[in-house]
Amino acid sequence: MSQEILQQIREQLLELDLDATVAAARQIVDQGDKKLAKSAVESLTQGLEIVGERFQSGEWFLNELVYAGEISREVLDLLSPLLETGDESTQDAIVVGTVAHDLHDLGKNIFGSFARSAGFRVIDLGVDIPVEQFVDAAREYQPIAVGLSCMLTPAAQGIESVVLAIREQEFSVPVRVIAGGAAVTQELVTSVGADAFAPDAVTGLNQIRAWGEQR
Amino acid sequence: MNFKQRILKTMQHEEPDRVPVMGLILDPATTNRVLGKESFNLAAMLQSGELDDATLKALQSDETWNQTYLSTVSDSLESAARLGFDANWVIYSYMQLQPDPQTSLGWVWHDPYGRVWEIGSDNHGNTTTNYARGLCTTPQKWEAWVESKREVFDRMIDSVRAFHIDVVEKFGDRIYPIGYAAPGVFENCWQPMGFPEFTRLMYQDPEFVHRIVAFHTELYLRFINAVMDSGVEVVLGGDDVGQKTGPLVRPAMIEKFFGNSYREISQCVHDRGRTLIWHSCGNIYQFLDMYVDWGIDGIITMEPTAGMELKKVREQIGHKLVLIGNLDITRLLVSGSKEEVEQAVKKAIADAGPGGGYVLSACHSHSEVDPERLKWMIDAAHRFGQYPLSLPAN
Ligand code: B12
Repeated sequence: MSQEILQQIREQLLELDLDATVAAARQIVDQGDKKLAKSAVESLTQGLEIVGERFQSGEWFLNELVYAGEISREVLDLLSPLLETGDESTQDAIVVGTVAHDLHDLGKNIFGSFARSAGFRVIDLGVDIPVEQFVDAAREYQPIAVGLSCMLTPAAQGIESVVLAIREQEFSVPVRVIAGGAAVTQELVTSVGADAFAPDAVTGLNQIRAWGEQR
Repeated sequence: MNFKQRILKTMQHEEPDRVPVMGLILDPATTNRVLGKESFNLAAMLQSGELDDATLKALQSDETWNQTYLSTVSDSLESAARLGFDANWVIYSYMQLQPDPQTSLGWVWHDPYGRVWEIGSDNHGNTTTNYARGLCTTPQKWEAWVESKREVFDRMIDSVRAFHIDVVEKFGDRIYPIGYAAPGVFENCWQPMGFPEFTRLMYQDPEFVHRIVAFHTELYLRFINAVMDSGVEVVLGGDDVGQKTGPLVRPAMIEKFFGNSYREISQCVHDRGRTLIWHSCGNIYQFLDMYVDWGIDGIITMEPTAGMELKKVREQIGHKLVLIGNLDITRLLVSGSKEEVEQAVKKAIADAGPGGGYVLSACHSHSEVDPERLKWMIDAAHRFGQYPLSLPAN
């Protein structure tokens, strides 16, 4: 029975059926089964990994990525009373923001919600973010990575400025800088000395996960 | 052959005297450099509190908006004409200044569709106006919003017509102003709500989505008709459906919700005997055949850094679409060398020029697009774009 519920969560997420996924989660809430709730989060994460693979391979599009994220968020909200909500500050953090003079936010938001559904603590600073704000957030949260989104060439200088400012800080653990968006290329990232280029949200998240494991 | 004949012949997929060159000049940073004008920074003025109540009131009127807007666009057409472009795109937008205590400036623009636009400045101290968020995050809010704006929509359409007539009268004998009905139906549907919110509705409330699409299609038809009232033979429409690596939204979903809307738009333009050129940023290979099916006559943009190559586009759709654009604004037209600009022009012309149906242009505009490099682009087009082409096909 419980195996069936877990399978339903994973499969209905991949069918993008919000009602069916939520119905399965509700059964767990009705049973008040904490252990099952924890397993449900694992099933959800497995489902999201497949969503990510489908998106990367071009089989799925942004609408599907976004909607799968929305469904996961609802399921997590529903299950949250049963989950051991550990200390937020111990969760792996990622700071994200769109660089100064740039107001494009879709890419950043999608990456942010995807990372959140995958269990990271995401601190989203917003758009048009000056260097100091990235640095302050990095000092406060000591994140695995500071994620920069940049769509505009006129704003791309902001990436280098953030990298330089972050490098000047001393952290007790490594804080990496990763950048993505239409104006960003591997060459640009290499030339300004950032740690990685994220051609898409899923690749970016995989990279950050790998850094997290090294910590 | 003059600029207009050159453009019109190209639209017929015939070879004019040379490949026409179109400007996508929009940003004051570019026009000021061409015209030697000082920058104007509304954000700084609002920030400093130096504007008195009477000025602030005037700034909130349609009249001031329309006058200021026309003068900004006049500058862009003047600079495009001086640089030697055959055509330039012309976009009318309508906004109202609103107090907004949530922003550090205290003021934002609202457009009648339900978007908030933030007032800022570019690297050169010119005012910028950028879409920041939506005001209609639920269907209920959207219904109430548009109901309250009916009369504003009517005024907007009147202003669109008057603006495009003015522009054609002022510049029509020097450059071909191609009027652009924007934002598009898809953009007007999702941006006032937010992308996640609108995506949810496409799955959960398709009936509402069909209703909002029908509403915006009707309004868009009024808009594009008002543009055509200026007499221009070629109009621009569009909708951003691409991002860096491919479609924003599954093409079948775009077809399901927006296909008929686009068909109606192209029908309306063709009923008046005009040509419809369509804009989308991003990687749009998967939409090219759909464009043809919807009745669109040509496309503008083809962003090279999103993987769009003229040669591949021609291979896929042949001469079923006129092509405009493709020169890079990420680096080439910002800081590329003269040789690089010439190479890019030669390549574009060799790939898309044979048989006509290609207009050379940048793939978009922003404040760092350099007028000197635009001039190199135009000069190179004059040198290498004479028909019959003598460039080796790449
Ligand atoms: C939608 C859009 C807009 C919307 C923005 C809506 C919004 N709220 O974001 C509007 C219409 C308002 C707009 C305005 C402008 N735009 Co615009 N826009 C686009 C467009 C079509 C899609 C961008 C997008 O949202 N994609 C969808 C998202 C999900 O994809 P993405 O951002 O690439 O993100 C993915 C990855 O890159 C990655 N990612 C992104 N960020 C991050 C961050 C991290 C940490 C990680 C890990 C991953 C990651 O993950 C995401 C998911 O896989 C692009 C075209 C393009 N090639 O992308 C042009 C584009 C970015 N815009 C452009 C321009 C020029 C402008 C304007 C200057 C136009 C003008 N002259 O006014 C203004 C500038 C506004 C400003 N100051 O910010 C140019 C920029 C060119 C350049 N090199 O500078 C582009 C490339 C179009 C073109 N034809 O060249 N735009």
